[in-house]
Amino acid sequence: MNSNTKPDPAARIQRLREIAQQVRFHVVDMVHHVQSGHIGGSLSAAEILTALYFDILNIDPDNPRWPDRDRMMMSKGHACPVLYASLALRGFFPLDELHTLRQFETRLQGHPVIKTPGVDMTTGSLGIGFSISVGMAMEAKLSGASYNVYAVLGDGELNEGVVWEAASAAQKYRLDNLVAIIDRNNLQNDGVSDTIMPMEPIDRKFEAFNWEVRRINGHDMQQVLQTLEEARDFRGKPFCIVADTVKGKGVSFMENQRSWHGSPPNDEQYRQAVSEIQGALV
Amino acid sequence: MTTTALKKAAIPTRRAYSDRMAEYGAIDSDFAVMDADIGYSTYSYLFGDKYPERYFNMGIAEVNMFACAAGFAANGRTVVAGSYGVFITMRAVEVIRSFICYPNLNVKILSSHGGLTAAIDGVTHQATEDIATMSTIPNMKVLVPADPVAAGKLFDVSFTSPGPVFTRLMRDPYYEIYDNSASFVLGGSNTLREGSDITLVSYGDMVFQAVEAAEELARSGISAEVIDAYSIKPYDAETILKSMRKTGALLVAENHQQKNGLGYELGILSLREFPVPFDTLGLRDTFAESGDYYKLLEKYGLSSNWIYKAATALVARKEHRNA
Repeated sequence: MNSNTKPDPAARIQRLREIAQQVRFHVVDMVHHVQSGHIGGSLSAAEILTALYFDILNIDPDNPRWPDRDRMMMSKGHACPVLYASLALRGFFPLDELHTLRQFETRLQGHPVIKTPGVDMTTGSLGIGFSISVGMAMEAKLSGASYNVYAVLGDGELNEGVVWEAASAAQKYRLDNLVAIIDRNNLQNDGVSDTIMPMEPIDRKFEAFNWEVRRINGHDMQQVLQTLEEARDFRGKPFCIVADTVKGKGVSFMENQRSWHGSPPNDEQYRQAVSEIQGALV
Repeated sequence: MTTTALKKAAIPTRRAYSDRMAEYGAIDSDFAVMDADIGYSTYSYLFGDKYPERYFNMGIAEVNMFACAAGFAANGRTVVAGSYGVFITMRAVEVIRSFICYPNLNVKILSSHGGLTAAIDGVTHQATEDIATMSTIPNMKVLVPADPVAAGKLFDVSFTSPGPVFTRLMRDPYYEIYDNSASFVLGGSNTLREGSDITLVSYGDMVFQAVEAAEELARSGISAEVIDAYSIKPYDAETILKSMRKTGALLVAENHQQKNGLGYELGILSLREFPVPFDTLGLRDTFAESGDYYKLLEKYGLSSNWIYKAATALVARKEHRNA
């Protein structure tokens, strides 16, 4: 819950940066353990998910379906390792369950499903999670509820036409309880996003759809946190944060490499990745 | 072939469903209605006029509409979302499958322009694969009212059945099949006419075509039992099997592709449980075209004339086999 007494600002940022590195460790560890899963787009979103789950979101791990909780849609559902790592570290389920990722009869399905504690809605088909978040924010308005709805999207995901249908609906219904965060890592499955289907200027596109937009460095925890706080309290329009990030961030040989979109590390790569993550703060 | 027994319906089933939905707004004060800019065609505007705060026109964007409906339902609020069958079951089918049916959410689908009832609108607006796609998805229930009374009552069945329910509606009014005493349940059917020589199973507009055919068959000395299988999924296997065991022949007629419709379903039922001479009428792996409904049904092999011919042939086969 975000109602805890806050430590001083520097300590707060420092704590979140440390948690982001723990999130990174668990991402690499679970994907290595099961030899399957999406690492690159999980690592690029580590600061975003950490700031959300460990500071911004009003949630209760002991009561995951609490009706007045904030909602969070992992619209880039393939990057669920970063979601599961965050939820486990936050106490929604045991950390050792992370090793069941994608395995037979697991709660941690290959793409997120609503039955998993802490997961607000099934996602994974790109664009649709964002669209669902618009519906949830509309429903919250109709109910007179005061919680916010957050959605994390990939930049490749913006290729999907439904994103722009949803962006239109969000401005029509003045969904100032909705915050979209774009993990702008400029890589998607087949290569560089700017080449595969250029979407820039992303910020000006959302502005043209009458959203309030900020563009930030998605690995600068202070910027991430401050902007999310601004978005949380902003009223009058839906809020979009375009977070420039690096795919594979935090593991030198994974950074900006297309091949780390959906491949697991071998044992040697795993040891190197873990030593880099444990030896540094991003 | 023309009927003398049935009375012309005053309104299409799309209108009757939406009339009941607007009434139901007073019974249930929580549910919301969405439309994709055809509210004056689905008649969902009737609800919107009474309950503007619960009515959402999502624009011409069916994929987003159904995903938003999923968002409402994931928050615990039932949504009725309406559009034309082709756009619902083709354009938005993935959202319906993965984000409404998979999480088993309370989204009720108002699907107009089923089959060739969208006659003059042409193929792009004729939903002739909708039953196949919707019936194939786990957790989805599929209903098809045959007339305005059935449409109103099946709204209630849809609304009170947990999880997603797809209701196929017609563009134009045809005939009245039921009076207000008729009853409908999920998984049910209504036997409209008892017979001993052959079982005719149909749904939607094909019910009046089957009734007409049964009248003509009676004049030829063939006694046809006519079943309105208004609940396509789940379907009333018990009643249909009981009828087949009595008549020893089964003919299914549906305003849909022959492939993967109710005919295929009941053909398998018969093969598994009680093989009888069987046939199924539907579009034969073809698209239709624009034009008058009655002319289209004649040309594409779905009219009461075709039901009569197919039934006569099946009864002859049955008698040949028994001889």
